[in-house]
Amino acid sequence: MHRLNFKALMLVGAMLLTPLVSPLVMAKGVYQSGPDFIAQTFAPETPKPGVLWLTAEIRQQAQNILDRPVAGLRVRYHMAGSKTAWILEEIGKEMPITIGIVIHQDKIEQIKILAYRESRGGEVRYPAYTAQYRGASLTQDMKLNQNIDGITGATLSMWAVNKVAALALYYHSQTKKTD
Amino acid sequence: MDIKKSIILNLRWHRRIGLSVFVVMIFLAITGFALNHSPALSLSKINLTSDWLLSWYGVAPQRAEAYAVADNWVYGTGSEQLYFNHQPLGYCPPPLAAVATTDQLIVALCKGSMALLTPQGLLLETFNQVQGLPANSTGLASIDQRIIVLGEAMAWEFDPELLNLSAVDDLSIINQASILQPATLPPTFNSGDNSQGISLETLIVDLHSGRFFGDAGVLFVDIVGLLICFLAFTGLWAWVNHQRLRKQ
Repeated sequence: MHRLNFKALMLVGAMLLTPLVSPLVMAKGVYQSGPDFIAQTFAPETPKPGVLWLTAEIRQQAQNILDRPVAGLRVRYHMAGSKTAWILEEIGKEMPITIGIVIHQDKIEQIKILAYRESRGGEVRYPAYTAQYRGASLTQDMKLNQNIDGITGATLSMWAVNKVAALALYYHSQTKKTD
Repeated sequence: MDIKKSIILNLRWHRRIGLSVFVVMIFLAITGFALNHSPALSLSKINLTSDWLLSWYGVAPQRAEAYAVADNWVYGTGSEQLYFNHQPLGYCPPPLAAVATTDQLIVALCKGSMALLTPQGLLLETFNQVQGLPANSTGLASIDQRIIVLGEAMAWEFDPELLNLSAVDDLSIINQASILQPATLPPTFNSGDNSQGISLETLIVDLHSGRFFGDAGVLFVDIVGLLICFLAFTGLWAWVNHQRLRKQ
């Protein structure tokens, strides 16, 4: 009788713990490749990639947005009409998060976490979270004009997504100058 | 035993023990003082990378994977950084599997990503698996100003303008391709990586506890500790005897 109770207790415990543990286990991974994201964004025809050269001015502004120096001399993007798509990376806590951003008419149309490598905070990949960025644009002081509700335990990842969203909007604004 | 004989015997042992632990006591006091003020002295941030010390701790000194490109060195280190000479370029998960060059470009293949550099060693951009680099990329080759990414029984030609890979049908061209071999990095460049080291705080803790010399060192410090206790008792006993003598 006691053994039966113990087994039942273990089963109930496992059932209660599973939803808590599974997001941690499933947080890491590549969810979509960059080429697939671009193809899906611009279906049926994928435009050729453009290059945004990071001039001293752009580099300085990007550094202000990210709070760190920017690596690399150029950034790739895809453009069709007034829509651009960017694949950018930013470190959450220790590892880079790869983020795909689609911007249409100076507003964010879509944000998608393509790869998440941290062990915690992967909740930022959920569509319910990324949907908050839809329609966001850039203010004069290089911040998002929309309030983004945070997720407990994913603060650093959320900050990383916010920075990348602002950076993509800024880069998008610079593509018009180079055209 | 009368009180005078007791005092003489006690002082004799007090003197002997005091002399035998004198040097070690001073050493323990200094190291203890240093550990007590470790945060203020930033001992944990001082990294010791001597080969002798690392081998004593059983940490194999990490050799950088290096490639000589003209008069320059491209190398990756244990701290996951890619370097061009002394200049850190960015994140490069080890190992640095290969480096290939054209007149316009230097390409370095790290684990899961490629770094594109100018001939002057400036990072242009990176190209990783999420962007389309095959997971089974194992090496790089260059032929006729073209970069070839080598895989297991496959090869792809890399287009640095479009960041695109196209499969190479005729694998025999690899036999004519130039493949850079890794080389030994001159010692002057090793300073780029100090991630593999022992902190000064760790060293002092291990010296203070005797662990630096293994079990024998720990036993030695234990014995010194007991002798210091004994020294305190003989000192106390000398004081008690002195009081008794004064009363007499």
